[in-house]
Amino acid sequence: MKKRAKFFHQDRDVEKADIDMKRKIGLIVNPVAGMGGSVGLKGTDGEIYKKALALGAKPVTPERTQDVLSHIRHNESITLFVAPGKMGERYIRRNDMPYRVIGTVARETSKEDTKRISAKMLNNGIELLVFVGGDGTARDIYDSINSKIPVVAVPGGVKVFSSVFAVSARAAAEMIETFVESTDVIEEEVLDIDEDAFREGNLASRLYGYLLVPNVKKLLQGAKEASVISGSSVEWKKELATYTVEEMDKRVLYLLGPGTTLKAIADELGAPKTLLGIDAIFEGKSVGADLNEKGILELFDKYEKRKIILTPIGGNGFILGRGSKQFTPEVIKQVDRENIMVVATRDKINRLDCLRVDTGDSDLDRLLSGYMEVTVGYKEKMMVKVRC
Amino acid sequence: MLKEPIKLNMNEVAYPPSKEIIETARKSLMDLNRYSDPEDMERLLGLLADYSGVPKNHIIQSPGSDLLLREIIHTYSKGRKIVIVSPSFFPTVQAAKQFATKLISIRLSPPDFDLNPDLLLDQLNEPCLVILDNPNNPTGKILLDRKMVGSLVDHRDVLIVVDEAYYEFSGISFADMVQEHPNLAITRTMDKAFSLAGARIGYMIAGEAFFDAFSSFHMILPRPGLFAAIQALKDPDYMRRNVCRVIAERERVWNALNDNLAVQVYKSMTNFLLIKTDVPDIVGKLADIGILISDLSNQLSSGFIRVSIGNREENDAFITGYMKIRETCSQKKF
Repeated sequence: MKKRAKFFHQDRDVEKADIDMKRKIGLIVNPVAGMGGSVGLKGTDGEIYKKALALGAKPVTPERTQDVLSHIRHNESITLFVAPGKMGERYIRRNDMPYRVIGTVARETSKEDTKRISAKMLNNGIELLVFVGGDGTARDIYDSINSKIPVVAVPGGVKVFSSVFAVSARAAAEMIETFVESTDVIEEEVLDIDEDAFREGNLASRLYGYLLVPNVKKLLQGAKEASVISGSSVEWKKELATYTVEEMDKRVLYLLGPGTTLKAIADELGAPKTLLGIDAIFEGKSVGADLNEKGILELFDKYEKRKIILTPIGGNGFILGRGSKQFTPEVIKQVDRENIMVVATRDKINRLDCLRVDTGDSDLDRLLSGYMEVTVGYKEKMMVKVRC
Repeated sequence: MLKEPIKLNMNEVAYPPSKEIIETARKSLMDLNRYSDPEDMERLLGLLADYSGVPKNHIIQSPGSDLLLREIIHTYSKGRKIVIVSPSFFPTVQAAKQFATKLISIRLSPPDFDLNPDLLLDQLNEPCLVILDNPNNPTGKILLDRKMVGSLVDHRDVLIVVDEAYYEFSGISFADMVQEHPNLAITRTMDKAFSLAGARIGYMIAGEAFFDAFSSFHMILPRPGLFAAIQALKDPDYMRRNVCRVIAERERVWNALNDNLAVQVYKSMTNFLLIKTDVPDIVGKLADIGILISDLSNQLSSGFIRVSIGNREENDAFITGYMKIRETCSQKKF
């Protein structure tokens, strides 16, 4: 396809000057996301897409995309950078927002297009990337842009379990508008759902990474409710980290699970932390990074007193069994239930029905069930039910 | 879009105060340049004592019960662990978070939102201030029974405050236990059942252990609110009739939503319903057609909303609006 990069306004100079003033926002649509849903297929990864087509599945993301665009009220403040054809351009034409097309795609699109075009948009200076798709699309975007810029994730796929997704097209539009006015962002999780297991009725997920999203406060509540939550996610995590570090015992080996909440604890100590791995701390210093079961058990030979610090995965509440498989039943048994500490921001815990465990050892899971104390703020704890 | 929004987001009662109440409050406006007379304050105190079935010296008046709860938390947070439930009345949570030196929240989990008594009793191993809303807001559920309250007040180092803001709807109160148990206090409001949200009259039925700390808590009540409250307590049957209407409407709304299996509606002992919906952004969509409800997504997992019971017309507008939005969403689903 011929490379296109044009402005759809008569006066190019004016438009170029305008672009500098406007927020540059990228838009990528996964045209096949969500097609499996209507025909009973859980996802459209790989060959399943062709099966969905054969079963008569219709595209669903175009409508979602137009829904988002129609809810943006202040489009004079935005210049869109869109993927070509059915990955974006086709739906924007009906809108009067100025736009520029980035990259090229073949007739059949793939995740490589998503990755390549989003990287190219980043090089073109976009400040926010809006994408429409499912968990798979979120992972592709994560692979490509990581935490370099924030995103607005519009739910369009069959599997949208990652907390990074907006609750609706309308909410996504609101997030875009919030970003135009302010640049406050928070981290949300991208999950990797095993499609084969999902089709069999099992929800097997692991934490894949984190994307930044505009920090949108709930604007539609009654005044009494709306006044309560103050501060930002970053501040809450800092508060948790300060308290946790104050409470740390120098004689104890601490194993920090994955997640940005635990990274905040490591940051408070001035110790390095792998975001998705298990790291060990003793006397405030790192004594092991990105540990596997073997590495953890070797440390146990040296350190008699041990504690595990965990944070739940947003959305599903797993503290063990998802995203931290290195904490095997053997490791957990050598630590004991009372030495498992859970930390989470109040905001995150409030959005969960309960905490969950799935270690692969059903007896151990039952032992871990019941109520667990979760640190949710400075000297503030919440008793939360753990289910298996 | 309707001209005036239908307000089903603040747990107010849709029925206005009686003509007599409005007339009494209106007359009091003639003296709005004057503070309320101590004699009138005393008159309200007597009426509240009669209504609650306790001696006058156990009643503490306040412009709003949330102010009392805040004062209790502020006063007793030093040297005491504060124990609350989550979710709970937001101003209580807010004050606890602001003043507590040590705060424990016991999470009420779906689907039943029950309070585990053992979990609560386990927390009472040091001086504590326990604040529980009964029925609970926003679940609408009764958390305590007399036996449980009896077990709590047996702990001498523990102060127990039960917020009975929705007592008139639940019919369950522990006010009669206050004289026997000095470490128990009940907070109530005339905002809800008495249709006096704009008057802001709250009161505490306090056990003796609270007397010293509140001996200097003399809040002058605003004149119109004071007179409205006096008149309302002279004719509590007006309130009782409205409560019956609200309860009948609550059950009608519950049945209408439950029969359609469109949502999970929780049984309530208040003038609101907790609902779990699968319609994304239902709060915004209803607001677009002029119906305001409460979004609980920062207190519970996504999809939980709280809807106050309005009058019949308002409730019908909510049910119809909800069903239409849900139908549209179902058609768009894939």
